[in-house]
Amino acid sequence: MHILSTIIEALPYILEGTLVTIVLVAGALSLGFCLGVPMAVAQVYAPRPAAMLVGFYVWFFRGVPVLLLLFLFYYGLFGLIGLDVGTIGASCIVLGMTSAAYQSQIFRGSILSLSAGQLKAGKALGMTNGQTIIHVILPQALRLSIPGWSNEYSILLKDSAMCFALGTPEIMARTHFVASRTYEHLPLYITAGLIYFAITMAGVTMLRRLEQKARIPGYNSAGM
Amino acid sequence: MKRLSCILAAFAVLCMAAGAQAKSYVNGIDANYPPFAYVGEDGKPAGFDVDSMDWIAKHMGFEITHQPMDWDGIIPALMNKKIDMVCSGMSISPERAAVVAFSEPYYTIQKVILVPADSTLTAEQAIKGKTKLGVQRGTNEHELLETRKVEEKLQYELRFYDSAPLAVEDLLNGRIEAIAMDSAPANDAINKGKAVKIVGTFADDDLFGVAIRKDDKELLNLVNEGYRKLKADPYWKELQAKYLTK
Repeated sequence: MHILSTIIEALPYILEGTLVTIVLVAGALSLGFCLGVPMAVAQVYAPRPAAMLVGFYVWFFRGVPVLLLLFLFYYGLFGLIGLDVGTIGASCIVLGMTSAAYQSQIFRGSILSLSAGQLKAGKALGMTNGQTIIHVILPQALRLSIPGWSNEYSILLKDSAMCFALGTPEIMARTHFVASRTYEHLPLYITAGLIYFAITMAGVTMLRRLEQKARIPGYNSAGM
Repeated sequence: MKRLSCILAAFAVLCMAAGAQAKSYVNGIDANYPPFAYVGEDGKPAGFDVDSMDWIAKHMGFEITHQPMDWDGIIPALMNKKIDMVCSGMSISPERAAVVAFSEPYYTIQKVILVPADSTLTAEQAIKGKTKLGVQRGTNEHELLETRKVEEKLQYELRFYDSAPLAVEDLLNGRIEAIAMDSAPANDAINKGKAVKIVGTFADDDLFGVAIRKDDKELLNLVNEGYRKLKADPYWKELQAKYLTK
């Protein structure tokens, strides 16, 4: 019973951290999306130098652990350029930039799965390439990306636990603090696990709904 | 004494009146280090160091916030001005003193060997034998044990932990035979009913000091002066009784 009362007592404190975690994930996913879509388009359609630049970005952010990136940006780069956005802001930016690398590949995959003839078809109809990409290619590609994107969501959620390295007071950090005071490590870690599980489930379910809502009846990826 | 506190109170009021923008500083703490620094039941930073610094801030006329941080990144955070000081059971070591300034020592802590309550291991055996020895990563103990292992050709195998409480947890799991740690968190574990005991010390006592950037002379003076006042005040004894008895 003592364990239960410890958990109940700690719950408001840990749930406050849940809010921080949700802000981190929402911020990072949005930033990743805003950067990832243009990056994917550039990698597929842009001239070689631009595509290579994106390739380099993806190579860098996928090749380095998130924890190291957090240290590198927060203590190194952000200090150098005098950017002070607090630990939550900095965590958001680093997670978002990392996520952009992964998200761009999800979108790129979707774009490549579309029939290459669509761009020519657009041209035949008098549309510029840009118009075709925005109005024809992306609406299809983004729909196809939702399943892969829900994967990225759940991975990012768990990566956010590493942001404690900067002192970001999210779920894992707070759980750790309470455990250090009460010496009830296992029950508290299980509680944190259940919270992560609940957020993952909620997000994935929502994306699944979105996927069904966005589906166009009778449509397949060949565009026929 | 009464007179002194009157003057102090007047001074504090003056300071508040003089500076609506009293200087504010951030203290980085390792909130996994009870009883010196931890997060209390209300979710706010608490502990011996936290209360000490709150008292000093109040009486020296500056504002203080306590920021829980990862211990591994705490010196870089200080150097990068993310925080202004580390008052969180930090031992004064030559390695650290090379990069940051330390206040005058405010506390002496023993370095003890902690073993399970039913263990027959002695402190001597723990250090000289082929033991699995736990230690918190990035601490003075860590540094010391690594050096001694090489210099004295000792046989122990070091296992590293994120925090002292996690090391205690693993000691009880039986994965390590002993922990080399500071006496205060060791006593904290015993007070919280963990089946562990202290069997002796393994090194000279350590001194705790407040780490401050070397160019921040103003804060260093404030903190030193603050501790002088705090130690002359009955509150210092109260704090020790509250957090460090036993």
